Amino acid sequence: MSHEELRPEEFAQAAEAAITDALSRPDAGAMAQVLAQAGLTGVMAAEEDGGLGLSLDFALPIAHAAGRLRLPLPLPEQILLASALAGTPQAAALAAGERLAGIAWQGSLQSGHARLDNGPADWVLVADGAGAALLDASALPRDEQAALDPDHPQAWIALDGAPVLARLDARAWDALQRQAHLLLAEFANGAAEGALQAAAEYMATRVQFGRPLSAKQAVRHLLARMRLLQDVSSAAIRRATQADEYGAPRDTRPALAGALANAAFVIEKAIHLHGGMGFTWELPLHRALRAVRKLDAAFAGLASGNGRAFIQSV
Amino acid sequence: MQFEQLATVPDPGAGPEVYRQHARTWLRANLPDFMRADSPDWRAPTLAESSAWEAAMYQAGLAGMTWPKAYGGHGLTLREHLAVNKEIGALPMPESVSSIGKELAGPIIMAVGTEQQKQEFLPAILAMRQYWCQGFSEPDAGSDLARLRTKAVQEGDTWRINGQKIWTSGAAKAHYCLLLTRTGTVADKHRGLLMFAVPMDTPGIRVVPIKSIDGKESFAEVFFDDVVVPDSARLGAPDEGWNAAIRVLSIERATNRMYRPWRFECELRQLIAACKSDAQLASALDDGYVQRRVGDLVSEIDGLKGLVELTVARMLRGETIGARGSLTKLYWSECHQAFAGLALSLLSQVGPHSSPLARRAQKAFTTAYLFSRAETIYAGTTEVQLDVIAQRVMNLPKDLT
Repeated sequence: MSHEELRPEEFAQAAEAAITDALSRPDAGAMAQVLAQAGLTGVMAAEEDGGLGLSLDFALPIAHAAGRLRLPLPLPEQILLASALAGTPQAAALAAGERLAGIAWQGSLQSGHARLDNGPADWVLVADGAGAALLDASALPRDEQAALDPDHPQAWIALDGAPVLARLDARAWDALQRQAHLLLAEFANGAAEGALQAAAEYMATRVQFGRPLSAKQAVRHLLARMRLLQDVSSAAIRRATQADEYGAPRDTRPALAGALANAAFVIEKAIHLHGGMGFTWELPLHRALRAVRKLDAAFAGLASGNGRAFIQSV
Repeated sequence: MQFEQLATVPDPGAGPEVYRQHARTWLRANLPDFMRADSPDWRAPTLAESSAWEAAMYQAGLAGMTWPKAYGGHGLTLREHLAVNKEIGALPMPESVSSIGKELAGPIIMAVGTEQQKQEFLPAILAMRQYWCQGFSEPDAGSDLARLRTKAVQEGDTWRINGQKIWTSGAAKAHYCLLLTRTGTVADKHRGLLMFAVPMDTPGIRVVPIKSIDGKESFAEVFFDDVVVPDSARLGAPDEGWNAAIRVLSIERATNRMYRPWRFECELRQLIAACKSDAQLASALDDGYVQRRVGDLVSEIDGLKGLVELTVARMLRGETIGARGSLTKLYWSECHQAFAGLALSLLSQVGPHSSPLARRAQKAFTTAYLFSRAETIYAGTTEVQLDVIAQRVMNLPKDLT
């Protein structure tokens, strides 16, 4: 099958199958191997690096599926780093799933510490002046913050003396951030879709007062609002991937801020609609909530920053 | 008022961007300063002034884009319609005084009217020679049109109409009413509904204005006492016409006033500019909470633009929009209310000492805040939209299957 024949929608099905398979594996390393064999980690990586050399359009459905199926790996970040580091041994290792890489959205090399919210990762990309540096974080001292997600904790990493594996210049770092905004927005939106689907199915089958709960107007209207916000996120992300009317790239931050806020609302309400069951560890929706709240923490201040930027633009 | 009359509209083959540039250039060159909501010289345009402005827009190829040329339209696609609407939204210009004609009556007549009706009404609507009002809602039939009472009885070649309509916008100025009646009894519910194009100067029609929350008298009760119209006033056959109209309405809900998100962004810019122009108000813009609210609105406006553009993309691919218009309607109405609430609070300290832009903005956005109360009511209330989304977009069951 040549790449010209591939369509992003068709890729979504393959991604679903591979991620479902990966989720059955015992650890992160084994999961990464499965994803790599299915071509997911290297979807955007150069062919010379063992990748498929496809565009962001093909990575979006993968990020969506990862969110929907609650994959506890930084797959969107891995996909982008395998592409951004083209021509380096690191790119090939990431495309092949031999290592896991994440992005620290808080902190910098200069400040001496950075926080990895969406892990686990052997390698971490950290802001470095105007650009960014990929560090080997496997042996660095870290302070794990397990309160929000004990299974996959956030980690403050001390960067003193960290080995730098590769660097991205300002331009490459800027491009990477834009793509990461879109993929992580789609990841959150996928998580919201999964939660909404679970809630809608449960409400349609859970009988109380002689009828399914989805017959109750309060429930129907809440589900309709959840659907609205999930659709809005999809539309905003789709729009932000396209150039503007003058051919310039669009600001990706409002789509990410909107998708994170909308996903948090949808998942919180999905948990609520599951009643007592929603409060249990057994129901996996808490995993989606933790994942989205960790992203929210990673991009803390994004919405007010967007407001500041708009105000300055007037 | 004199407007630049362009002899030719651009060739749509040149692409929507050429059309958009034409719209941008023409609108910016021709919109009178007093019609700009952000101008300190703003005043409410008269009906004649609004009409002249809209007629000039039409002549310049900026109204009736998608209507067939045979009926006065420009024979273009939704692509050009969207391109033009982005530019209409980007300027703080007055709302159309003929939106019922252009976005409701016109498309319905196009779908169900006879050839003679199309020729008679459609070009006149675009050229601003005819205004229309909408006679659907009744005191006992708002969201629930099954309770409609206004009755039409056939008497030979004529129809005799009796009943009452309410919330009829623009009834006092309208030349025609797009009137929904029933031919049977209320027990028939959605069966036997029949539409008419009723001239508003027909004997037996009485318009009683209603003062609205914003102090205006733009809508009215309309009474029909033994109003007799010829059979040629009928729009389609009973049932058949109304069923076709419902399909038109669902498309209109998704596509009307497509410029909204671009206009909301324009209003947000006006609000920020007004605050910046005034030393006292400017300090509020440094407040993190205000920045957060502005940021949230920027995301919402972006999302709304996304919904509108996605709707257009789907329609251009020939997909049906169905009930999805409810998503857009619900989102824009609440988004705009959120904006208006922010504007009201940011401008609450405006006084005689404030900058001219701030004083203008306070007047404009206080009115907008009050008017926006209507936005979650008209064109299907929020609750109706939520019902539609639950029922027809999500197919949520009401019973166990």
